[in-house]
Amino acid sequence: MILAVSMQGISKQYGSVQALGNVTFEVEKGTIHALVGENGAGKTTLMRALYGAMQPDSGSITVNGQAAHFHDSRAAIDAGIGMVSQHYGIIGELTNLDNLVLGAEGGPVLMKGSMEQRANELAASMGFEFDWAAESSTLSPAGGQKLEILKLLWRNSQIMILDEPTAMLSPQDSDALYESLKQLAANGATVIVVTHRIAEVFEHCRRVTVLRGGVKVADHDVADVKPEQLAEEIVGGTVIERPVPVSNERSNIRLRIDALSVRGSKGETAVKGIDLQVKSGQLVGIAGVDGNGQRELFHALIGVSKPMSGSFSFDGNQWDTEPGSTRILEGLRVIPEDRHDEGVIEEWSLYDNSALGLQRLPVFRRLTSAMKSEAPVMAEMFKTKHGNLSDSMGSLSGGNQQRFVAGRALRIDPQMILAFQPARGLDLNSTTKVYQEIRKACDEGACAIVVSFDLDELLDFCDRIVVMCHGHLSEPKPEEARDRAAIGRLMVGAE
Amino acid sequence: MVSFLLQIITMSAPLILMAMAGYMSERSGVINIGLEGKMLAGCFICAAAGAHFGAVGGLAFAILACIALSLLHWSLTQMYRIDHIISGMAVNLLASGFTGFMDSSGIWKTTLTDSQRLPLPMYYAIAVISPFLLFAMAGRTQFGLRHKSVGSDPDKARLLGIHPQRVRFSALIMTGVFAGLAGSLLVTETSGFTKEMTSGRGYIALAALILGGWRPIPATAACLLFGVAKAVQIRFSGTPIFNFDIPSEIWNMLPYIVTLLALAGLLGRNRTPAGLGKH
Repeated sequence: MILAVSMQGISKQYGSVQALGNVTFEVEKGTIHALVGENGAGKTTLMRALYGAMQPDSGSITVNGQAAHFHDSRAAIDAGIGMVSQHYGIIGELTNLDNLVLGAEGGPVLMKGSMEQRANELAASMGFEFDWAAESSTLSPAGGQKLEILKLLWRNSQIMILDEPTAMLSPQDSDALYESLKQLAANGATVIVVTHRIAEVFEHCRRVTVLRGGVKVADHDVADVKPEQLAEEIVGGTVIERPVPVSNERSNIRLRIDALSVRGSKGETAVKGIDLQVKSGQLVGIAGVDGNGQRELFHALIGVSKPMSGSFSFDGNQWDTEPGSTRILEGLRVIPEDRHDEGVIEEWSLYDNSALGLQRLPVFRRLTSAMKSEAPVMAEMFKTKHGNLSDSMGSLSGGNQQRFVAGRALRIDPQMILAFQPARGLDLNSTTKVYQEIRKACDEGACAIVVSFDLDELLDFCDRIVVMCHGHLSEPKPEEARDRAAIGRLMVGAE
Repeated sequence: MVSFLLQIITMSAPLILMAMAGYMSERSGVINIGLEGKMLAGCFICAAAGAHFGAVGGLAFAILACIALSLLHWSLTQMYRIDHIISGMAVNLLASGFTGFMDSSGIWKTTLTDSQRLPLPMYYAIAVISPFLLFAMAGRTQFGLRHKSVGSDPDKARLLGIHPQRVRFSALIMTGVFAGLAGSLLVTETSGFTKEMTSGRGYIALAALILGGWRPIPATAACLLFGVAKAVQIRFSGTPIFNFDIPSEIWNMLPYIVTLLALAGLLGRNRTPAGLGKH
């Protein structure tokens, strides 16, 4: 067995937090190796150390048998290591060709002709096709991911790190991506995939390493381990089961959306005349690749933006003409996409944040005393880890802010729950708990719409799944309502 | 007609050089409202050094002084992470205060004889050529690509092994060179330094840069537009039009109104470098 990467005793401390503690990580050459763990387990930190983007406090790194000391990413790139970060390294303002060669231009003057020729050869070897002169902002998430892989090939990377490569892809695009990776591994490349999706590990990877709380918990040949065992190692205890979701839907329609169109931030029509009716008791998941109108639909429902045309009502109240504040009084509760910008005020205390957005509700009529009594309950609902409740919200980690925001949305009589990526930054079991609470509210007669880019998460918890693609809303046929492949086809507009 | 065209060139050339100074800085992600101050310092140093060391010395010192101010802005924003606007204001105040004080103190002579000036056509030639050179640099060279990338997303560029600070260092040296040229040109067109002689040209150049969407050639076109307005003002101010006397104040406003309207017409079309002001 030839080791492409060997990291020994890697430790890293950020302030009082031990991000990595004496981690050992070894990867065999020519394989696809999975690195799994919860949010905050240290996966990305470990990979940043390998990529030279972070210097560990202690430990040693060996690449292809040679000791490596990477002071910056340039040194790691020169040693044949390439990384595709979670948030994509593609700069939208540049052309595809510019993005491909950036940082590895091969000389002070750009030889566009020969560059394009080599670019086409690389693309052809992977079966990709690109318009090299187009701006990269026009790429789909799948196209961006393909360009990322070509970027690695352009740099002759022999060790490729991909951080959550499928987070934004449809199931079909994910499978295609892994086919490409397998082809690369067969040609001798070493691929490290950071992921939280256990299914991918078992379908596509040879070995798997588990991190938890900054410590290496286990190392397995994938063939020697069962999914249940892996999940327990990731969570560090028992995994809360996710039974098949059952709906307690009633006959009365609560939310009714008619021919709703909404403008996007660039002036385009982002939501194109969609119809949707949600009954009491339903938990509806909106599946789809990011940027297909989900955000704009939410903004219209919340009242952040005005629809171009169409209407929507809740319990017969014409919400599209009512101010957002009235919608909240009538039971609208939101877990927003971006908790920093839309969910909390970081300078405010947890007390103050507990009333944020809900301040008009009767509960908060006596504001100070209500905040004193509500804040602890909201924090406790999903076990938010916090210091004093009078500390600023900014002192909490992202995941804990998310717990608090979810608790606030579900605490006081929710009737219409809108949640955008509610699991963002949460661990496996907390995710389950948040969905369980949403389900409980629905069982009591509320209804909910959840947007997630993770189809498996929606399949785990939602009793009804609809798909948004290019601003259109579609619903799988009844017999295919829970068919991953069929929904995936709708997500990319293949049907 | 020829004199009118000449007037346009006279009015546009310093702006074009200033806009190129702004391009180098802002396209790399460094907001630069200190252009005005750099230009003013360039004017003063060119006049003072020109009177002592002759024509070439004047230009050389003006460029060096502008590079120094530019690198001051670089170190404040890139090393000490001070807000770009505040640092730019500091540069402006520093230049305004220093040149104003030196001018009224009379320590240094700041009037130029003919032999202490470089020929104007040289400056005009540079102003005409440089937008095309920068255009070629942006599209055809490694530096141009990296320059653009750090202005768009310094974090992503960093992950590709590019050092945004280093790229911006080089870019701001270029900013200094162009500002020095622009200041020298302005002084060369007159008999010497006068207090606040740039009268907002640095800001107008910045407006032209924004108008041109942070691209060298469209920014140059915007500078020419301003030059035309200015030339029209000079040509027609005081001349009755259709037997109607337009007050000179209105004529004086013309170039600024044109700039304002052009900027307003651009609202909603956003070409701002995404990494402007980011580290």
